[in-house]
Amino acid sequence: MVELVPTLLRQELARLAEADQRLDGRGQWEGRDVSLEVDCLYNAEGSAKVVMGKTIVYAGVKFELRTPWPDRPTQGSLMCGAELRPVAHRKYEPGPPSPESIELGRVVDRGIRESGCIDMESLCIVPGEKVWGVMIDIHVLSDGGNIFDACGLAAIAALRTAIVPAERFDVGEDYKLKVNGTPIMSSFTRVGGRYIYDPSEEEELGGDERIHITLGDEGHLHSLQKGLRGVFTPAEFAEIFEVAHQRCADLRTLVANQEGN
Amino acid sequence: MSNGQNGAELRLVTPGMAIGPSAGIRVGSGALAQNDTIIATRLGWVKEFNNTVSVDPINSAYMPRSGDLIVATVAEVRNNLWFMNINGPFQGLLPMSLAPWKVEFGAARQHMGIGDVVLARVQEVDECHNVVLTMKGVGLRRLTQGSLHSVPINHLDRLRGEGNATLQRLRDACDCRIIVGENGKVWVDGDAEGTAWARQAFDLVRNSGHKDTFEADLTALEKNTPKNGDA
Amino acid sequence: MGGYGDVQLLRDDGLRLDGRKLDEMRPVSIEAGILPAADGSAMVTHGLNVAVAAVYGPMEAHPRKIQRQDRAVIDVRYNMAPFSTGDRIRPGYNRRSREISKVTAEALESVVLVERYPRSKIRVEIEILAAEAGTRCAGITAAAVALADAGIPMRDLIVGVASGKVEDTVVLDLDKAEDNYGQADLPVGILPNTGEIAFLQMDGDLSPDEYNLAMEYNFKAAAEIHEIMVDALKRRYEGGEN
Repeated sequence: MVELVPTLLRQELARLAEADQRLDGRGQWEGRDVSLEVDCLYNAEGSAKVVMGKTIVYAGVKFELRTPWPDRPTQGSLMCGAELRPVAHRKYEPGPPSPESIELGRVVDRGIRESGCIDMESLCIVPGEKVWGVMIDIHVLSDGGNIFDACGLAAIAALRTAIVPAERFDVGEDYKLKVNGTPIMSSFTRVGGRYIYDPSEEEELGGDERIHITLGDEGHLHSLQKGLRGVFTPAEFAEIFEVAHQRCADLRTLVANQEGN
Repeated sequence: MSNGQNGAELRLVTPGMAIGPSAGIRVGSGALAQNDTIIATRLGWVKEFNNTVSVDPINSAYMPRSGDLIVATVAEVRNNLWFMNINGPFQGLLPMSLAPWKVEFGAARQHMGIGDVVLARVQEVDECHNVVLTMKGVGLRRLTQGSLHSVPINHLDRLRGEGNATLQRLRDACDCRIIVGENGKVWVDGDAEGTAWARQAFDLVRNSGHKDTFEADLTALEKNTPKNGDA
Repeated sequence: MGGYGDVQLLRDDGLRLDGRKLDEMRPVSIEAGILPAADGSAMVTHGLNVAVAAVYGPMEAHPRKIQRQDRAVIDVRYNMAPFSTGDRIRPGYNRRSREISKVTAEALESVVLVERYPRSKIRVEIEILAAEAGTRCAGITAAAVALADAGIPMRDLIVGVASGKVEDTVVLDLDKAEDNYGQADLPVGILPNTGEIAFLQMDGDLSPDEYNLAMEYNFKAAAEIHEIMVDALKRRYEGGEN
């Protein structure tokens, strides 16, 4: 379902941008409070819940034993999928996964995969015969804006707490999954003509195109995605890239603190 | 328990819960007579008035009634009519003949397009939820400036207050024009600071409209208006 | 039901493996209004089960062919999250979730005053985040609280509960082992105020007497859960202590 955008909302967002203000009083590069909870799902081998404003997202990690691809006999696999189910918002309709769901899952997947935080070789049990398949499933329960960052955060936090269920599959003792790094996503949306960090539901409704940046521990880019209708300039990107470093670092600290508990 | 509204003996009931015997009592909205008992059909506060028992729901969708003043958004334009989102289950229909302008057939789009916000009145509603709107009437018009806000339907009385006293306080505090639509959509027109303050006031109504702290919270917010400043 | 007989499910002291008495249910907690985007919502934790329900509507029924001129339709989707069980579930609907969705919708249509909203649809989304036997019951309970939270008129709530049989003994509220290795499961949806039944399924083997006892247990549990549901709804709106 395509949501109706009141002309008055776009006008107001433009007016606020002019005055360097936002609807909820935040600064241009200020995020909402984020709450992160890990190990919160009983049947998942790793799990996390993220609440950002009105957005609520769960991620769960499951493992399966599979035969490796013939051309990579010593490598396991990692897959990350997202479901934008109709529970999350009035605008989501039942049916097969929408292009939006698939984009969301793939953008999160790329950020984690390309950061190299999972060594695929470490998922090998018997070369050519048995490897671990790691699956991260993200479940959006409430879409209150910027689900990309919430999903990215939930996925990596769940992965970092995952326990490999070797006993249940009769291949040794359970052990903690080795994850080398914490790739984090930062998302920016053009609202009222300028970019802002962490858009709320109303800002997304009355906004334009968005850019998602996933950065690794060293500040390297691991995934980029531009979505929705609109264009941007290299100078604009340079500005949000700067901001992304700081916001990603903040969230990485949040993940580390949560693991410390 | 704390009483959500002024007055005594307020009781919060859930669907199916017995309110009292039905003998000699009229059953109002949100309640149902079942055998010899009146039961609640909605989550809400029991109200007894004029020998009638009803339940004031805590949450409800907007169900349009003829005569309602509403703030609506154009959702679809045809040659000779507009479909309006009225924040209810069904769209409202504004025919060319009830628009405030003289519209040639096929020219509807030149007057209002998708996303435009209007102040309209509900002309009629039939049993099947067909809703006809009108923009003929004093003050009914396209709203070309200002901002759009939402307040839960069941808190509209709270927002207005006795004889619109609360609403007037809000208007004075933020120095904005405020029009409250029966459909829970509120239009505010004023400067940025005033609008920002009004937004906070609506958040307060949304989050605490049912609490007995509302009055105190609102008074506190009033001390912090753009005019008074927050030092 | 799954296996039969060879797994011990009752201890020598007569209690169940997790220490519960025969007519004791797992702990239940409920929170109403947990999803900001929904018109009404609830989370039910029943033992280790976690069920979340969201309600949207009433809204115009689409597509047209599902519209009823004289009443609203309730459109239920019961779905288990991929990570909710021991082995990952492939996302998407299967025969089991479709069947549960259908009978749950019909149960809810039996209490919601659907005739108030002709041509409308009320969407009920049930998501199971963690499953440990009894998810459909937790889902029904969550859906009823979410509907009340959304302000939908109903003549009663519905409570989802189940009893069953293990080692030839009737027990209330099967856990996972009891469900896997037990002899019968009787999940029902009970209207707590009227004592009527809106949802009924059963599989396994029960004698008439065992059925009666299982039902008796179910009604006892329904009364307990009903209190928790009412408390959840009141807590959301009474505005706390101040």
